[in-house]
Amino acid sequence: MIALAMLLVMQLTRGEEGNQIQVTLDGKIYGTYSLSKDQTIEVKDGDFYNRIRIEDGKAYMEEANCPDGYCEEQGKISGHTQTIVCLPHKLVVEVLENESKQNSGVSDSEDAAPDTIAK
Amino acid sequence: MKFRNMIIAVCLCVSVFAGGCGQSGQDTTKSIKSESTASSKESTEQTSTDTEASKDIFAMDTYMTVTAYGEKAQEAVDAAEAEIKRLDALLSTGNADSEIAKLNEQKSATLSEDGGYLVKRALELNKETDGAFDIAIYPVMEAWGFPTQNFRVPSADELTGLLKHVDAAKISYDKDTRELSFEDDQMKIDLGGIAKGYTSSRIMDIFKESGITSGLVNLGGNVQALGTKTDGSDWRVAVQSPDDTEDYLGVLSIRDKAVITSGGYERYFEQDGMTYHHIIDPKTGYPAENGLVSVTIVSSDGTLADGLSTSLFIMGEEKAAEFWKAHSDEFEAILATDDGTIYVTEGLKDSFTTDLGMKVIMK
Repeated sequence: MIALAMLLVMQLTRGEEGNQIQVTLDGKIYGTYSLSKDQTIEVKDGDFYNRIRIEDGKAYMEEANCPDGYCEEQGKISGHTQTIVCLPHKLVVEVLENESKQNSGVSDSEDAAPDTIAK
Repeated sequence: MKFRNMIIAVCLCVSVFAGGCGQSGQDTTKSIKSESTASSKESTEQTSTDTEASKDIFAMDTYMTVTAYGEKAQEAVDAAEAEIKRLDALLSTGNADSEIAKLNEQKSATLSEDGGYLVKRALELNKETDGAFDIAIYPVMEAWGFPTQNFRVPSADELTGLLKHVDAAKISYDKDTRELSFEDDQMKIDLGGIAKGYTSSRIMDIFKESGITSGLVNLGGNVQALGTKTDGSDWRVAVQSPDDTEDYLGVLSIRDKAVITSGGYERYFEQDGMTYHHIIDPKTGYPAENGLVSVTIVSSDGTLADGLSTSLFIMGEEKAAEFWKAHSDEFEAILATDDGTIYVTEGLKDSFTTDLGMKVIMK
């Protein structure tokens, strides 16, 4: 029973625990932030404003003053290769995978993170 | 004008370049470890054949990631970026100086090699798909406001009027001289339905010319891979779920292939409780509603994959399956229907994994 519970916890946290997000502005790194810690990241660049929220291991765009607001519609991200893009501000939030997982030899298994996402 | 605009795809965009979307994947080795201190297990990355160069590029009204591995990886990625910018300037309908914008204004032109090649492919696709793929749909796209994001629902009369001018067969094109003229002066074209697929194929050529044997590009969700990963294993390309940005339809294992997905979820707006997406059926002038929510094409030809992803979406499952049977040597497909079924063509049955129900379309 305990083993089962532990397995469940491991399943639930897989792909989230230890990951970070990297925020880039026009290709330049603005900062990296741990997904394990709930926090709010405000990005100000001239008139551009984006507020990213990390909660329960997932990051999402809480607010932005871009004209279309599409970045706020892109949902929550936590898995490697997932991104939120605010095109008008050239701002990208990308999940970076924890190195221990990347080297854990699961890269060929069906559960491993994909290399990229077609959409 | 109180309706609410919601764009699902490229932010700014509504670009000319169809099929774009705001989210985009990136390469696997771009991880925390590459940003910080070295770990004991990264030795494979130190060898010259595994040297990685990667660049994020904002172009064609979308976000792109280009990655190459090998000794000349940086050179190859720089050349890819230059090619993307060149093709963007040449083909974008939104850029008044582009070849295509000028053609739409003047109704005739002598096209560049790239423009000419794309028109030739577009006209062939128009015939093969029985008009489902039509670069002359552009005036209807404008009426819906997709290129400018000033969304509106045109009246049925307006659409009927515009559809009279939508017919790629009325384009006269001489592929030897690359001279093109419209027989109808209301006509306008947009190569956005194949331009990104062509661009990713061009990048594969550039990579090969630089001696690169392993590379991956994601142009606003349009994926194309050269060779395998540096460890010799297949690239793993997730296919976005049409109804949940956090989840995938499944994962494809591929090498030397383009993977291009189209779905109404990529870009749409809402008005009076109705959702209108950007994949317009050239026969009706309205968003295609033929039971499919997402179509993914897998092919070694990026241009074909791009054009067919929208064409098969417009056809619907039955016609799309028939079309595949007649062209099964050129591409494979994944079709997701609005009742939650995923159909995959025979050639993908072992390379596509999904937790959802999957039916195989046999030849």
